Amino acid sequence: MARFDQLENMYDLGLKPVMLRSLIRQYLPAENHPLNLNNSCFELPSLVSIVQTHCLLSELDSQSIDPKLINTWKSAVDDWLSCLLSLLSSDMSDKCWVGICLLGVTCQECSNQRFLSSYSIWLNKLLSHIQPPADSQLVKIASCTSLADLLTRLARFPEVKKDGNLLAGKLIQPVLKLLNEDNVEAVWEGAANLLYALIAFFPASIHHYYDKVEAAIASKILSGKYSTKTLKKLGYCLALLPKAKGDKDSWSLMMQKFMISINDHLNEAFQGVEEEAKSDEARRLLVPPGKDLPLPLGGASFKGTSSERLPTATISTLMFCCCKMLTSSYPVQVTVPVRSMLALVERLLRVDGSLPHTMLPFMTSVQQELICSELPVLHAYSLELLIAIIKGMRRQLLPHSAYIVRVVTRYFKRCSLPELRIKLYSIIRMLLVSMGVGIAIYLAPDVIENASNDLNSLGGEDIETSPANTGPATGALPQLSNRKRKHGAETGSLEEKRDAPSPKVGESNTHQMTPITVKMAALDTLEVLLTVGAASKSESWRSSIDSLLMKTAINSCKRGWGNLESNIFLPHESASVWADFQFSSLRALLTSLLAPARTRPPYLSQGLELFRRGKQEAGMKLAQFCAYALFALEVLIHPRALPLDDFYSACHNSTDGASNRFLENIYSGSRKQNTSFLSDMRRTEQGGVESHDVDLYDRWLQNENENQNENENIPVEDMKDQTSRPNDPSFTNVLEVREQEPAAANADVHMRTENEIVVQPCHLEESVPKSQGVASAKAVMSPAVGTNPEGSEIESKTPLSASDRLNDTNHDMFSCVDKVDGFDHVAGKTSSTLRNAEKGSSSMVHLDSDSSMDSFPGIVDADPDTDADSD
Amino acid sequence: MNVVIASSSIDGGIGCWDLQTGAEQLRYKTCASPPHGLTTVGCRFLACSQLRDPSATSGHLLYWSWSKPQAQVKSFPAEPIKPLIANSDGTYIVGGGSSGDIYIWEVATGRLLKKWHAHYRAITCLVFSEDDSLLISGSEDGCVRVWSLFMIFDDVRRQQVSHLYEYSFTEHTLRVTDIVIGYGGGNAIIVSASEDRTCKVWSLSKGRLLRNVVFPSIIDAIAIDPGEHVFYAGSRDGKIYIAALNAESSPSDNYGLHIIGSLTDQSKPVTCLAYSAEGNLLFSGSEDGMIRVWDVKTQNITRMFRHSKGPVNNIVIVRLPYPLGRAESKSQPSSRKHELSLPPPLEKYANSSDEDMDNKAIVMLPDTIDLPSYLSSQLINDHIKQLQQQGSSAVAEMEAKRLKVDCQRSKEMFQQLRKVYDNLQEFCVNELLDEQTMEGSKGN
Repeated sequence: MARFDQLENMYDLGLKPVMLRSLIRQYLPAENHPLNLNNSCFELPSLVSIVQTHCLLSELDSQSIDPKLINTWKSAVDDWLSCLLSLLSSDMSDKCWVGICLLGVTCQECSNQRFLSSYSIWLNKLLSHIQPPADSQLVKIASCTSLADLLTRLARFPEVKKDGNLLAGKLIQPVLKLLNEDNVEAVWEGAANLLYALIAFFPASIHHYYDKVEAAIASKILSGKYSTKTLKKLGYCLALLPKAKGDKDSWSLMMQKFMISINDHLNEAFQGVEEEAKSDEARRLLVPPGKDLPLPLGGASFKGTSSERLPTATISTLMFCCCKMLTSSYPVQVTVPVRSMLALVERLLRVDGSLPHTMLPFMTSVQQELICSELPVLHAYSLELLIAIIKGMRRQLLPHSAYIVRVVTRYFKRCSLPELRIKLYSIIRMLLVSMGVGIAIYLAPDVIENASNDLNSLGGEDIETSPANTGPATGALPQLSNRKRKHGAETGSLEEKRDAPSPKVGESNTHQMTPITVKMAALDTLEVLLTVGAASKSESWRSSIDSLLMKTAINSCKRGWGNLESNIFLPHESASVWADFQFSSLRALLTSLLAPARTRPPYLSQGLELFRRGKQEAGMKLAQFCAYALFALEVLIHPRALPLDDFYSACHNSTDGASNRFLENIYSGSRKQNTSFLSDMRRTEQGGVESHDVDLYDRWLQNENENQNENENIPVEDMKDQTSRPNDPSFTNVLEVREQEPAAANADVHMRTENEIVVQPCHLEESVPKSQGVASAKAVMSPAVGTNPEGSEIESKTPLSASDRLNDTNHDMFSCVDKVDGFDHVAGKTSSTLRNAEKGSSSMVHLDSDSSMDSFPGIVDADPDTDADSD
Repeated sequence: MNVVIASSSIDGGIGCWDLQTGAEQLRYKTCASPPHGLTTVGCRFLACSQLRDPSATSGHLLYWSWSKPQAQVKSFPAEPIKPLIANSDGTYIVGGGSSGDIYIWEVATGRLLKKWHAHYRAITCLVFSEDDSLLISGSEDGCVRVWSLFMIFDDVRRQQVSHLYEYSFTEHTLRVTDIVIGYGGGNAIIVSASEDRTCKVWSLSKGRLLRNVVFPSIIDAIAIDPGEHVFYAGSRDGKIYIAALNAESSPSDNYGLHIIGSLTDQSKPVTCLAYSAEGNLLFSGSEDGMIRVWDVKTQNITRMFRHSKGPVNNIVIVRLPYPLGRAESKSQPSSRKHELSLPPPLEKYANSSDEDMDNKAIVMLPDTIDLPSYLSSQLINDHIKQLQQQGSSAVAEMEAKRLKVDCQRSKEMFQQLRKVYDNLQEFCVNELLDEQTMEGSKGN
C-alpha cells in the first residue's frame, strides 16, 4: 500500500520493476509447477505486449534516476532472466518453448549493457536446443528465431564483430544439420530465418561452409515440393550467400548458376510451345562458346521433377533469387549478365501457350492446358525480374533501354491479366523515373494509348452499383456539368460534350472490363509521365490526357468520397480500394494541372472546385491531399519567379523603394506586375487562354520591347502573327476551340476595361518615369481604379505621336487590339512596337515572332554578326 | 567537403582548393587541358582531356585519383578530344572530338559504347541535362544540338528517323564557346555563348530561341545563377557581365540590352566561370592565372587563388563525400579499395571482339539500408495461434510429449504412494502384531 502511494502515474519509472515482478509471478510458470498450455501459454502475447509497451526490460540508466530504483529494476530483470533460463533448461518442451520465445524478446528489449554482458551465455543456451538430441519442432523453430534475433541485435555493436563472427561460426553446422536431416518444412523455415541473419550480419562466419550451404538450399529449391513461402526464404538466403565471400567472381558464378538452372528447367517446361532454336540461343548467351560450364547449382545435378507437373515452383523461386541478387547491396562491383537476363525475360514473355505450327502434332491438349495454367505465374516473375534489373542497373541500363522498351511495349499489347498489367505499368514508371526526359519522349505514345484504353473502358466498380451501368453514367454527367456551369465555369458545357461519347466507347466493349486496380496503375503512370515528360514534345497528346484525367477524377468523385481508413471487417474490400482510386485520380489531376504546358490548364476551374469540395467533405487522407493540391495550385494563380538569394536588394538598392513592399513587385518590374496581376484576375474569373508559363514568356518579350537601346523593326507579317495569337491554341487542339469560344465571348465584357489598364503602365514608364514606383504600387492595390484616370490620358497621347509616322500600320494595330479582347500582352506589345517601330531597324525580329505561341520554330532570321556590328 | 579544382592550357597541373578554408590541397601533375576538358567522374576521380600537338592523330586523356598527384590511367582515343563530361553518377564519360564526332564510353569497363557524327566541325562544349538523359553539344560551326541518349542507343529507331538530334539550334554564327543549362528537367532553359559576341537563351521544351543578348566583347564563359534570375558572362575584355533572365532590366543599362551590370577587377580576359550555390559564390578564372572568388551579393572579391602563370581555362566545383587529406590514412578498408582502384583506360575503337562483354555490365549494386527487424514476438503469436487451433502436428507432438512426461511423473508418484502405503501397512501390521504379542505376553 505504501508503495502504491509513491507512484505518480503510468509513466512513473518506479512502476516498471513492480510490474515486471508481478508479470513474472503471474505468467511465468515456476520450475516445479506444470504448465497449463491452455491458459498461461495463450497469455504470452499479452505478456510480450506489456513488456514492450512499458519497456520493462530497458533498464533506463541516467543521472536523474534514483540509484535505489536502478537497483530494484536491475534485480527485477535479473529475476526475469533467471526465471527464463530455468525455463530453458526444463525438460518439459512447452516450458522450454516459453523460455526460448521470451529470451528472443529479451534480446530485442534489454539494455545494451545487459545484452553485451550475457549474449554469449544466451547463445550457447539456445544453441543446445537446435542440436541433437532433438527436441520438439516448436522448440527448434523458436530457438532458431530467437538466435536470429540475438544475431540481429549483436550486429548493431561493431566492437564485438570479431567475437560475433566466432560465435556465429558455431551455429552453421547445427543449422545445416536442421536443413539436411530434418524433414519438417516448418523447421526449415526457422532455419532459413537463422541462416538469413547469419549471412546478412556475419557473412564471414559462413565462408568455410559456402558450398555446403549452397548444396543444402539448392536441393530444397530444386525439389520444388514445398510451400512458396519457405522456398522464397531459402532462396533469399541463397541469393545473399555470395556475400560470405564478398568477391566479384562468386556473385557472377552464383548468378550464372541460377540462370543456367532456370534455362534448363524452361527448356523442359516449354517443350512443344516454343521452337527449339530459342533454347539454344538462350544457352549460347549464358555460356559463351569456348568457355566451361560451371558446376550446376548445389554442386551435383538434380533430376527434374516428373513431367506431369511443371517445375513452376522451382523456376519462380530461382527467378526470385535473381531478383534478390540484383537488388541487395554487395561490397564490390559485380558483372551482371544483363543481356542474357533480358533474353530470359523476353523468352518467357513470348510464350503465351499457343502452339507453333511445327509442334502441333506433338502436344496433347492436356499438356497445353497445363502450361497455360502455369504461365501467368511465370510471366509475373519475369516481370519482377525485369523490375529488379531496372532497379539494380539504374543508369547503366541505358544501352539496353531500347530493347527493354520494345519488350515491354510488345507485351503490353497482348497482356490482359490485371495483375500483370499493373506490373507492366510499374515497370514503365520505373523506366520513366530512372531514364528521365530522354525516354519519356519516345515512351509516351505507348503509355498514352494503353492508359487511355484502360481508363476509358468500363470498370468493375460501376457494375457493382448499377447493373445497367450505361444509363446512370450518361445521365449523371450532364447533370454534373450543369452544376458546374452555375459555379461560373463556362467550359463546363464543353465537358458535357466531351464526356458524353465516352460511356458509349465503354459500351462497345463492355465485355472487357478493366479492374479498378489497373485503372489506378494507369493513373499513376500518367502522373509520372506528366511529371517527367510533360514539357517535351507533348503537344500531340497533352490535351487529350488532360481531359481524360479530369474526366476520371470527376467520375471517381461523383458518388461521394471513399474512406481511406481500413475497414476491419473487409480489410481489402472495395471501400478502401475506391478511396485509393480517388486518391490516384486526384493526384494525377493535380499533376496535369501543374505540369508545364503551352496553354492555360484547360480544367483549372473544375479542378479547383473538385479539390475545394474534397477538402471540405472527404475523409482525412483525401482531404489532406486536396488541401495540399489547393496549396500547390496557388502558384498558378499567383505566379512568382524568385531569385535564390536576395539579389535585388544588393543590385538595385537605390531603385524602386516603394515596390519592394509588395512581394511580387520585388522581382518583377512594375509593368510586369500589372500584367501578371491582371492575368491572375483573368484566371480566377473564368480563365483566359494563357498559362503561367506564357506569362513568363511574355515578360521576356516585353522586356525586350521595352528596351530602348536595341533598335527594332517589326515587319507587318510579324504583327499579323501576333494578332492571330489568341486563336492560336486552337491550332494545336481542335477540341479546345469549342471550349474557348464561349470563354472568349464571355470575356469580352471584362476584358475591354482591363485592356486599357494594361496598356497604360508601359506608357507611364515612358512619360512619367519618376512616378513609376508609386504608380505601380497603386496598381497593385487597386488595379482598376488606381491607374485608370492617369492612364487614359497618356494612352490618348501615344497614338497621336505614333500616328505621325506610321499612319497605316497604326490603324491596323489598333483594330487588332479591338479584336483581341482580353489579351493584354498583345495590347502591350502593340504599343511597344509602335515605339520601337519609330526607332529604325534591327535584327531582333525572331524574338517577337517567337511570341506567337505556336509559330513555327526555326523560322528565325537573326544574324548575330550584324547584331554585333550594329552596336 | 567542397573543393574547387582548376586547370590550365599550359601545364600547371590541376590545382585544388578547399572552398571553406581556401587552403590549397594536392596538386595533380602534368595537365594541359583544353576548355571544358576537366571533369570529375561521379566525384570518384578526376578526368581531363589533354592538349597535344595539333598534328597528332590520336587523343590523350588522363585520370587522377584524388589521393595521388600522378596521373594513373592514360587513354588514347581515336582523335583529339576537347570537351569531356561525365554523367552525375559517373557511369558514362562523353567526349567531343575535333572531327565533330561525339563518343560515349562506359567508365567501369572503358568500352566505347557509341560514337556518332554530331557536328560538321569540332565539338567545343558538352553539357548533360538535369536528369542526365539529354546531352547538349556546342560546336565550332556555331550549332547547338540536343540529343536524347535513349535515341542514340536505340539502333532500330535510329534507322527510322532522318536526324538523331531532338533539336538543332543554328542561330549562332561563330564558334560556340560555352553552354549551361538551368533548372527544371524538360522545361529548362539553355544559355549558350558564342564568338559572335552574343549569348542566347533557348527553351528546351519549346525548342527555340527565347532571348538574344549582345555583349560588348566575346563571351568565353557563362555561369547561371541557380535561381535563374541572372546569368554571368565572362568576357574577353576582362569583365564579368551580369545579364538578366528573370530579373528586371532597365533600358538605361550601360552595356546593352538585358545586361544589368558587371563585375570587374581590371583583369585579363575571363576564361571560365563556375557558380557555387553554397554561399552564392562565383568563381572566375582568368588568363593571368588567377582564380577570383566573388561574393555575388556584395559584388566583391572575397578570395583569390593563384593557379599558375598560364591562363586558367577550367574551374569545377566538386562536392567530395569525404575529406581529401584523410582519405588515405583513416578511411575504412572497403571505401579505400573503392577509391584507389581506377577503372581501365577508355578504348580507342568500339571493338566487337569481346562479344561476351557486350552482354554484361559492371555495376555497383545499390546500397539499401534497413532497420533491423526482430521476429520473436511475431513467432510467439504464430505459434500461439497454432496451439489454439490444436490442429498442427507440432502441437500434437508437444502435447504428447507433455502427456508422456505427466504420465511418467504420475507413475512415479504412484510408485511412491504405493511405497508409502506399503510402508504404512507394514508398520501398522507390525504395530498390531507387536501389540498383540505385548498383550499376549501381558495376558500371559
